[in-house]
Amino acid sequence: MKKVVIEHGGQRLVGAVAKVGSTTWFSFGGEVWTREEQGRTSRGKKGGGALDPSKVQAPMPGKIVKVMVTPGQAVAAGDVVIVMEAMKMEYTLKSAADGKVKSIGCQPGDQVSLGSALVELIVEPGVEHGVKK
Amino acid sequence: MATTQKSSGKTNRRIQTVAIANRGEVAVRVIHACRELGIRTVLLHSEADIGTRAYRMADTRVCIGPAPTAESYLHIERNIKGALAAGADAIHPGFGFLSENADFAKAVIDAGMIFVGPKPESILAVGDKIAAKKTVSAARAPSVPGYMGEDQRIETLVEEAARIGFPVIVKAAAGGGGRGMKVIRSRSEAPELIASAQREGLAAFGSAVVFLEKYLDRAKHIEFQIFGDSFGEVSYLFERECSVQRRHQKIIEEALSPSLTPELRRAMGETAVRLAQSANYEGAGTVEFLLQDGEFYFLEMNTRLQVEHPVTEMVLGVDLVKAQILNAAREFQVWPQESLKAHGHSIECRVYAENPYAGGIPSTGKLLGMEWPEGPGRRFETGFEAGDEITPFYDPMIAKVIVWDETRLRAIKKMKQTLRDSLVLGVHTNIPFVISMLSHPEFVDGSMTTQFVGRHYTQENGIGLEARERTDLELAFEKAAGKVSLTGGVAAAGSTLGSAHTTPLQIVNSPWLGERWRNV
Repeated sequence: MKKVVIEHGGQRLVGAVAKVGSTTWFSFGGEVWTREEQGRTSRGKKGGGALDPSKVQAPMPGKIVKVMVTPGQAVAAGDVVIVMEAMKMEYTLKSAADGKVKSIGCQPGDQVSLGSALVELIVEPGVEHGVKK
Repeated sequence: MATTQKSSGKTNRRIQTVAIANRGEVAVRVIHACRELGIRTVLLHSEADIGTRAYRMADTRVCIGPAPTAESYLHIERNIKGALAAGADAIHPGFGFLSENADFAKAVIDAGMIFVGPKPESILAVGDKIAAKKTVSAARAPSVPGYMGEDQRIETLVEEAARIGFPVIVKAAAGGGGRGMKVIRSRSEAPELIASAQREGLAAFGSAVVFLEKYLDRAKHIEFQIFGDSFGEVSYLFERECSVQRRHQKIIEEALSPSLTPELRRAMGETAVRLAQSANYEGAGTVEFLLQDGEFYFLEMNTRLQVEHPVTEMVLGVDLVKAQILNAAREFQVWPQESLKAHGHSIECRVYAENPYAGGIPSTGKLLGMEWPEGPGRRFETGFEAGDEITPFYDPMIAKVIVWDETRLRAIKKMKQTLRDSLVLGVHTNIPFVISMLSHPEFVDGSMTTQFVGRHYTQENGIGLEARERTDLELAFEKAAGKVSLTGGVAAAGSTLGSAHTTPLQIVNSPWLGERWRNV
């Protein structure tokens, strides 16, 4: 961690910066943010609703508590498909679209990493309305 | 602190070594208290907590199992064995984990050690939520309508919820502070939420028993700190207001509450004392109430130290942890009620490792840096130091920031500045979210209720702040930081960050809106 001082409106403001791999971390005024070197992917892509609604992915590392669907089952947008736990919280992961369960990539008790594909759906074309922009 | 000279017929019990059956900042807090008292410490820790501050501070360490809590921090036998192996004569359970488990308290005593906490019978009388409702009616404390029957079938619970009238809250009977707790707003969502609460209760406390009660929708959370000594005296150390909660997880706590009149304070405090006395209570405890329209209702009693105990310590000038240990050693007489006078105002904010711009999604990883801005009336409690790993196994609280000032408004200003000057790198934190809440007119005027967070900070992807672009000032900082060499020395102009782009703050398509529970 390196401290960085900038002058603003006659005041000296102190923040900090550190780099790990391709990620630079900034801490300033209570805010923490990151920057990725160009050409590398970062989690949390830009743009609204651009993620593939046919995949339910782990939004964080954690443990699978319950799988609420079975292959072949029809699901509606908003249906709970997975219950997972991280940092002692339970999260419900919901389907972002209407469709049918194609495959399931996890089972209860699994420790999964960020971005793991947990459930794959066959999304009915034209009926994607799960995520509001 | 009143160290007793009085002869009680009870002999003093010398404590030379305290084992800590906990982790994180509370383990550090207990280590500090023990060192000040000249007592050795033993940390009973999981494999995942080797790289933490408490591990480095404790005099002796015993690994009691792997990361999952059921195999380490919640495992009674392993904690007892570890403590005995290290020669401990007492166990401090901290908060959460086994701190409110009467079986654990009994096992500690049966093993010939001192449990730093109430007697097992007292834990059962007020700690178990169902038994507490009975104790509470004996103590003439008003309570909220509900169901606490032994019939735990989902169908029965759904029927009872409907009878009470929605919204209804379901809670784990053996739980505390949010785990296994859900608000049910309609009959259709009742079965799944009840089942989820039962699962969480079983996972966290080993019991799937739940109870139901009417959910008050514009109540304040007011809790009274009580303390009982081995002579049977109980005093109340006034209240803390903890209305700023997200799904029953407290975020901002303060002492005293801006909402109580002296008359109401006395009535609630005396009720809390009656409740503790009816359970023959000894040690530190907290009686939680909901306050709505000038009426207060007993919520639950926590038979342990609270996360937010520092704000009470700050306004009263007491040390609750040392008092707990001295009381366990029978060397303590509780502060006489009339001697307790609150001075000034104290606020605590819980710093969670999470991204407030992404609905509060947990943030894990290596802490690349952390620095808290020391100053008068500022106190920082943390279980981590730079280089430590924030793992997904335990709760996301990485620090508590506590301030004291002469008035509430000054304390709010001090807290905001303290948080702005805090440096954390390697994980995201909820600090921007906390600063926003501290600035909200409803918080500033003290009128906030337990609905405050949900009403003002619900986003499409969870609870937190709306995603935004970086400000010009932040971009100016980023530019200046880009000129700093991160490998030592000062970088030449045209830094290695020249071809970088800013990560957007928003994580879109987080499909996990919905009820969640949080920790202590």
